[in-house]
Amino acid sequence: MISKPIFKQTLKSNYILWLIFTAILCVFSAVIIITYDPSIMSSMMDMVEEMGMADMMGDRMSGMTSLLGTLGNSFYSMLAVILPLIFIIITANSLVASQVDRGSMAYLLSTPTKRSTVVRTQGIYLITSILCMFLVVTIVGLTTVQITQGSVFGTAHTGDVKAVSTLLDKDKEDVADDLNLILNNEEALKEGAKARNIDVDVYTAYLNLKISNNAYQAAADVLDKDVEEVKSNPALIKSNEEALNAAANVMGIDSSIYSMYLDTVIAASAQTEESDVMQEKVMAGLTSAAEVLDMEVADLASDMGKVKNNEAALNAAVDASGIQKEAFISIINQQLASKQISLDEGIDFSVKDYLMLNLGCFLLMFAISSISFLFSCIFNLSKNSLALGAGIPIAFFVFQIMGQISESMEGFKYLSLNTLFDTEAVISGGNYWVQYVILAAVGVVLYVIGMRAFKEKDLPL
Amino acid sequence: MSLIEIKNLTKDYGDGRGVFDVSLEIKKGEVFGFVGTNGAGKTTTIRHMMGFLKPQSGSAAINGLDCWSDSAKIKKLVGYVPGEIAFPDAPTGNDFLKRQAEVLGLKDMSYAESIIKKLQLDPTANLKRMSKGMKQKTAIVAAFMADPEIIILDEPTTGLDPLMRAEFVDVLNDEKKKGKTIFMSSHMFEEVEDTCDKVALIKDGKIISVVSTNEIRHNQDKTYKIEFDSQDDYRRFVNENFDFAEKRDAQNQVIVNVNDNHINAFIKTLKGYHVKFITEIKYTLDKYFRSLYKEEQNND
Repeated sequence: MISKPIFKQTLKSNYILWLIFTAILCVFSAVIIITYDPSIMSSMMDMVEEMGMADMMGDRMSGMTSLLGTLGNSFYSMLAVILPLIFIIITANSLVASQVDRGSMAYLLSTPTKRSTVVRTQGIYLITSILCMFLVVTIVGLTTVQITQGSVFGTAHTGDVKAVSTLLDKDKEDVADDLNLILNNEEALKEGAKARNIDVDVYTAYLNLKISNNAYQAAADVLDKDVEEVKSNPALIKSNEEALNAAANVMGIDSSIYSMYLDTVIAASAQTEESDVMQEKVMAGLTSAAEVLDMEVADLASDMGKVKNNEAALNAAVDASGIQKEAFISIINQQLASKQISLDEGIDFSVKDYLMLNLGCFLLMFAISSISFLFSCIFNLSKNSLALGAGIPIAFFVFQIMGQISESMEGFKYLSLNTLFDTEAVISGGNYWVQYVILAAVGVVLYVIGMRAFKEKDLPL
Repeated sequence: MSLIEIKNLTKDYGDGRGVFDVSLEIKKGEVFGFVGTNGAGKTTTIRHMMGFLKPQSGSAAINGLDCWSDSAKIKKLVGYVPGEIAFPDAPTGNDFLKRQAEVLGLKDMSYAESIIKKLQLDPTANLKRMSKGMKQKTAIVAAFMADPEIIILDEPTTGLDPLMRAEFVDVLNDEKKKGKTIFMSSHMFEEVEDTCDKVALIKDGKIISVVSTNEIRHNQDKTYKIEFDSQDDYRRFVNENFDFAEKRDAQNQVIVNVNDNHINAFIKTLKGYHVKFITEIKYTLDKYFRSLYKEEQNND
């Protein structure tokens, strides 16, 4: 299959380059994870994105502001592509074409080793080195996430939980499991609100929202269903005694009371017309408040706290919307609370998605390396091997960047292999398996062609 | 049976470059010289023997195995010194030799050490900073260390100084005594004449002649240069019935070809003349091939 001594030789003369590139990648990945701060990312996104009310609570924002979103948009779209690319270009050329060009391949081929074994060994080295590079990056990444965010093994704890657990002298786990502990303790409430940098009212709304989410989660676990499904159809909980009890337990209330609460939720969601009317009213209020504050409505919509802090704006909003002042404030609190929830989701770290990001990046590099390797096998001169073996992968990279820069150049992305590795699709749960399979297939086919070409060609040695 | 057999080998690179219809047979235990000018097709032929090039037509076989399709198998029998010395990345000569031994599956380095000693090579030197001669020696050690039955060398003595060349010839002779078959190319006639049993001349990709060096050394057609004291003698002698290669009126010199069968008649005739000196012009490979070259050109 492969020749061990040749593999060892190849390893010896190439490992330093591998070490350098892997180390740089690890450092960058770790730095991005360590410096990640969900609130900064979130406010940055607020500034960049102009979103309407409906988008505000959507998945997209949490997808962009989460740690994975940040990694996907920066690290896995740029550094984790261009650095291995350079490594591949150099290594692929030195593995075959450069040795033929210089003539040193003669020493390998004057031993009783088949040509096919020699070239297979070189190909396997290239694949293995890329695989190991991403394995190391993945392990370092996961370790860094665990150390800084603590969300790989076990759940990450938010700042308020940490602060309250110190205050109450309780285990973080216990506090996170029973948020009523905070809700029922005035001092804890203040401490938690301070840790989150929000006022107590918003914090209370947040805790209630969080508890009810946790209750849905508990019920969903019992029902073995997706939490979103349970949320959109609470009747599911009512139909299962066990789920009802579990959810009520999280809420800290009797199951019969929880059942009644669910009834109101079901009734409210049935009256979609009413909620539409309500939304219109809120928009009207926001529009007039925006005039007072001299802001864009969209900007204000994503940061309704500004209305609350400005008496004149608040009054204008109340007048325009026809909603009572108390109720309007509570709507604002509700919105701010759900924003806090999406910040929490930023801390949530899906190990599966992270692994898929790394797998995708590896597959892309596998496919790219097959191009460089193919030309390294075909050409006897380094300069020719590099012209195509480096030129094509770099062109792919540039095409992808051009496709992203402006819509007029979007067509370029269809010219690039890199487009098949779509970080957004991985993070937002889109479909990416077809692309992954294509990348793997391209790689396998080009490697096989390259090896065959080398086996059949004339060597000037 | 021939150990190495090249049959009607053709590789046309266009513009008259390449090799055309080359046929050679090398027997076991023979030291075979392959002579030609630069670009004559020596290296191309050798690359076919090593299985690096695929013949356009014809074939090359070693020990009955085809050099292209069974190239890995024949390498068990063959050691190779390439024409251009370019080593793989290795810090010192020792490192390189060790790695090479590993790929060859060679465990016992004692034979390699004996050659290193004989060639006075310092294998601990930095591989990249070695002089051309040092590199050449290292390459020779790499080719010889597995003690292969056949050794193929592409211009092995380029870069060696005369003393080292003598050492190298010694090593070759030792190998020959052990019954090894050696195929070496060269552009120097003297070198192959000293070491080889048989020599082939290649020109413009075609084999012009294959001769045994013994035939050259013990050629019965000898050439003598004679100078006479007086012009009278010279004029008289020129009219004798001999095969004159050259007549030099100004110096009273003649160059005459005499077969050993007629040497007595030749000496008798000379008795009647006053000879100033007589020398035999040694018949060399160089001379032999030059005459062939001339014939070629005349034919063209």
